[in-house]
Amino acid sequence: MDNKEVVIEFKNVTKLYKLFKNDKKRLLHTFFKRIKYKEKRAVNDVSFQIRRGEAVALFGKNGAGKSTVLKLITGVSFPTEGDVIVKGRVSALLELTSGFDPEFTGRENIYLKGRLLGLKDNEIKELEETIIEFAGIAEYMDQPVRTYSSGMKARLGFSINVNIRPEIFIVDEALSVGDEEFKNKCIKKVKEIVAKEDVTLLFVTHATGVARQFCTRGILMKEGKLMFDGDIDEAIKKYESTIKK
Amino acid sequence: MKELIGIIKDHILYRQQILKLARADLQKTYRGAALGWSWAIIKPAVTIFVYWFAFSIGIKGGGADVEGFPFFLWLMAGIIPWFYINDMLSQGSNAIRKYSYLVTKMKFPVSTIPTFVSISKFTVHIILVIITVLIFIFMGHSPDIYIIQLPLYMFLNFAFFTIFSLFASLLSAMSKDFANLIKSLIMAIFWLSGIIWNVKNLDIGWIKKIQMINPVTFLAEGYRNCFIHKVWLFEQPEKLICFAIVLGVLAIASLWTYKKLRKEIPDVL
Repeated sequence: MDNKEVVIEFKNVTKLYKLFKNDKKRLLHTFFKRIKYKEKRAVNDVSFQIRRGEAVALFGKNGAGKSTVLKLITGVSFPTEGDVIVKGRVSALLELTSGFDPEFTGRENIYLKGRLLGLKDNEIKELEETIIEFAGIAEYMDQPVRTYSSGMKARLGFSINVNIRPEIFIVDEALSVGDEEFKNKCIKKVKEIVAKEDVTLLFVTHATGVARQFCTRGILMKEGKLMFDGDIDEAIKKYESTIKK
Repeated sequence: MKELIGIIKDHILYRQQILKLARADLQKTYRGAALGWSWAIIKPAVTIFVYWFAFSIGIKGGGADVEGFPFFLWLMAGIIPWFYINDMLSQGSNAIRKYSYLVTKMKFPVSTIPTFVSISKFTVHIILVIITVLIFIFMGHSPDIYIIQLPLYMFLNFAFFTIFSLFASLLSAMSKDFANLIKSLIMAIFWLSGIIWNVKNLDIGWIKKIQMINPVTFLAEGYRNCFIHKVWLFEQPEKLICFAIVLGVLAIASLWTYKKLRKEIPDVL
């Protein structure tokens, strides 16, 4: 593993959120520095490296900073201090049910998302059938997404993200959606993707059993700090002991 | 300066996505209605009719011919740019909030969001301008050589309000107060900028001076210069200079806002 290229690197990353009493204060802060706000340190001086092909699980209680770390990796959010370096196409299953344009049909959303991720139209066309088949909601594909149930949105979201040939694959609690049958289908698909040499997986979950199936390495976060980084079994043990307390 | 280069780079890198999102925005505006695309024309047509009715029939002595052109044509030439401006003030200034999923769910350059919304609205504007030219021809007032400066005014209109919507939509994303502020100013801007009354009839000096720096007046008058007044842009250099200064100030304000807020926007939306 050690000889592979580093695809995700955090160098002393800190992320502060500014909490204002209300929106007006936030707007005023843009113009006047004196406006007071509270700081929330969501990620506190975190450093780690993930190499190509690794499968890493990220554990932590709610509010430990996991989602913020994922947002930093996907490039949605920016670090307050430190550097985040990411190489490769990131496919992130963050909040599956959002991220669609509700006015467009399922099919149009496939194209929209594909284009935004930098695929060409003919590439998307090739993938279209696979995506629709995997989602299993073929008869709704030409209906606007706003009419979808949350389960249908999740299916479509998952299907798009796993089928666009990601290089870095981020799964955030996504496998907990849908019915048992679809869940198993998803787990199988993620396994398939991870089995490929060069796909890097980052898996955020509270389900330690599922994490053990995919991942070889575990990272544990607590209150924005990195508590442990190493073997998956040990990480799970540490994580479970923090919950019991 | 670094921000400017960054914004230009984003636009070049994402040029295809920008065009596709503009098309998608356009489709979204008009679909789902039985009459679909015709709304793009019906809405302005009704507005023009209402103002024409109020000023020609409703108000005594109003609606007189302007420089040999029927009031209706004079009104149309100046109100056509306003429809685009109105869209940009109301929707362009809310672009980032409307497309928040592009900001919070994926990596996408925020600076291009107002641009594609603007392109979408401008497409409708181009169609309306073409219809206007056709109506002028139909009414026996075929445009002459002065019409060649129309694309320039259209470009200035596009540039000004695209930059404006970057500025406004960044601040609107930070706070709804700002979005509401702009919405509440739209009517004021419309009535004060000489779109449906002739600024040439103004004889109060200081109001005339203020109108010089009003970009909406400049643009509405500019369109009328092509269709009605038959005045070249370079014949009124002081107006162009005033507009350019306002545009410059706006551009600097936009860049400053972008620099300040770019990294905060995803955390706020």
